[in-house]
Amino acid sequence: MASLSLGAPRSRARPRHSPQDCDATVQSTDNDAASSRLSAVRAQYLEDPFASLFSPPAPLKLPIINRGTYVRTTAIDRLVHAFLCDSPRTPAEQQSRKQIISLGAGTDTRFFRLYPTYSTPNALFPIDLVYHELDFPTLARKKLSTILSHPKLRSCLSGDVELNNDTGRIHSDNYYLHPVDLRTLIPGTTPPLPGINPTIPTLIISECCLIYLSPEEAENVVNYFTSILTGSLGMIIYEPINGSDAFGKVMVANLATRGIVLKTLEKYETLEKQQQRLKSAGFEGVGTADVDWLFENWSVDVEKERVAKLEFLDEVEEWRLLAQHYAVVWGWKGEGWIRWKSLKSQAGG
Amino acid sequence: MSDLDRYIQLLRSCKPIPEASVRELCYKARELLIEESNVQLVDAPVTICGDIHGQFHDLMELFKVGGDVPDTNYLFMGDFVDRGFYSLESFLLLLSLKVRYPDRITLIRGNHESRQITTVYGFYDECMRKYGSANVWRYCCEVFDYLALGALVIGAGPSIGGDDHAELEVIQTTGEAMRYRRAENGGFVTVTDRSSNNTITSKPRNPDDNDDGDDDEDTDDTTPLRVLNSGHPTGTSAASTFSPPSHPQSSAILCVHGGLSPVIGSVDAIRLLDRKQEVPHEGAMCDLLWSDPDEIDGWGLSPRGAGFLFGADIVKTFNHANNLSLIARAHQLVMEGFKEMFDSSIVTVWSAPNYCYRCGNVAAILEVSEEGGGVVRSSGERGGGVVGGVGGGGWEVKMGPGRRYRVFEAAPQDSRGMPAKKPQADYFL
Repeated sequence: MASLSLGAPRSRARPRHSPQDCDATVQSTDNDAASSRLSAVRAQYLEDPFASLFSPPAPLKLPIINRGTYVRTTAIDRLVHAFLCDSPRTPAEQQSRKQIISLGAGTDTRFFRLYPTYSTPNALFPIDLVYHELDFPTLARKKLSTILSHPKLRSCLSGDVELNNDTGRIHSDNYYLHPVDLRTLIPGTTPPLPGINPTIPTLIISECCLIYLSPEEAENVVNYFTSILTGSLGMIIYEPINGSDAFGKVMVANLATRGIVLKTLEKYETLEKQQQRLKSAGFEGVGTADVDWLFENWSVDVEKERVAKLEFLDEVEEWRLLAQHYAVVWGWKGEGWIRWKSLKSQAGG
Repeated sequence: MSDLDRYIQLLRSCKPIPEASVRELCYKARELLIEESNVQLVDAPVTICGDIHGQFHDLMELFKVGGDVPDTNYLFMGDFVDRGFYSLESFLLLLSLKVRYPDRITLIRGNHESRQITTVYGFYDECMRKYGSANVWRYCCEVFDYLALGALVIGAGPSIGGDDHAELEVIQTTGEAMRYRRAENGGFVTVTDRSSNNTITSKPRNPDDNDDGDDDEDTDDTTPLRVLNSGHPTGTSAASTFSPPSHPQSSAILCVHGGLSPVIGSVDAIRLLDRKQEVPHEGAMCDLLWSDPDEIDGWGLSPRGAGFLFGADIVKTFNHANNLSLIARAHQLVMEGFKEMFDSSIVTVWSAPNYCYRCGNVAAILEVSEEGGGVVRSSGERGGGVVGGVGGGGWEVKMGPGRRYRVFEAAPQDSRGMPAKKPQADYFL
């Protein structure tokens, strides 16, 4: 999720965290995501001309962190491209819109990276894509101001652009920024957010987001969207797993010293439980894999060789250990999803 | 008190020493190391240690578990620096002990003892942070170039295919030491389980009984050991057979950070290398510091981008040709602290518990006894922590030179006197 520290520095000794503190801690995790992204770009794992606009310059991360950021980003990119390219069969379908809803998007750059490929008049694969980003108002305001201050970002927004500096809201033809606390989305009660079309093919992405909500809140968010979106629907979840082995216990303890609690880690701690999670939410097919497996099985050999040559990776055992504690889960229902169905999965299907 | 003793005292309390003192220490160390062979000869008894990686407080824990210098002979197989937050203090302490007690401690080079690697993995940044210039890093790197590439432990006993001298000891939080020992009839492996009535333990230690525990240690060998399933190779998972060693007479142990090289057929070939240089990107010297054993036939490409993978056939041929009973190496994180492979012809020893403050692993050291003697005893073995890899799962101790693995956990947080800035491990968030 995305960032901005709130208020004065907290005393180390303060025994309890207020809800506001907890939210600020969760929001601060976006700094990690942004600086990791920038590091992976600078070390040439990823190409992303927008990464440096969202993160101040920072020291390079260790090679295993760069590799992990690379695998996470490319795996989700692959699922996103497969969703967008899933062959439209008829002219009517070709003109139909598709939408992506990114939960806790923070400083994510995916919309801006997708724009030249899909949304420009001369795009290689012209698709009428609408991209929705949801995050805390604090983070939305920050993102809005970053977008406004960089013409490179601002020029990706098409049509009439309506924005509100006070709330952090942006409405445009192809991009919406919704300042919203996900916990306020109640199934059967909260109306659809502006601009969200309940009938068109939709992809929901949660990249290290839902795991910071309580199990009940996280389930509510998923149910909220599955109840209002009646068209073809896909969902991608990327988050930590295996919290109860030796590495996982240290991870939980280390994050706790930062005040970060992975609230659904225990409930969805294995690939199987993650798979069951989306099945229970009504998805007809579900694929899952950990990051170690994805690097071995989704990357083509030339790409693996390229990545291996970028830096000496003197941490092979540590890499595997770390990477086996992060999962990508993808579920789908309704028409289409031909490409997703043909993707290799470590578990499920 | 000599300057050197003063440095040692400062470093033992995890305090850096002045830049001029580092220069002097490094100069003395180089004078000493330049006389050493590429493959240092080391007499048993000796305690063999793996990667340390700047985890200073865990190095102190290691000395508590294994005994202090100079009471215990030590052989460190490299990777003193990088990753942890106290590479400087860890390396300089080991180096000053080396200068002070040259015959009691042997340091060989790991792949992180290199200019290129230390600029990526933290030691360079740490020196810059602590001294504001790269001078200290440069002095240390000059020492790295003189470190031996390996060591040959000789005089290890008792009869390499020995009777009852392979042992595993696990140091627990309670201060209790759990022992796992091979059956004395030479026929079986003995395994214990903490929850079992058959558990073999030394007497419980008083946690307050700190480092003055030498006396009662000597009684350990008389601790009654109960052998499980003696004489029955089949049966429970708690016992298993072992094969007689192929070379019962040989007893030398080759210690090297990484492993073997396709261009090195003998220990003598290592002796011929010109080691006084930065670690090259390829070739024999690189391989010795970078390679890993793996379940393959022959040689394979390493996923690390340097060195090679080598299989059981390579190890067995090399050991046979060089009259070795064992290759001890470090270099790879092992969650259980140590890992024997290929019928115990090679072992990985890993001495950095909870590596990078993130991995949750335990650490181990390997004590090798001298011929005719028992396994070398430590002074004081106050407890380190809970065991991850042994309890419940059953353990198998195989043949080899009289060896005892001691397994320990990370130093407790309160012993670290942690700086205001807590170590923070990176995760994907």
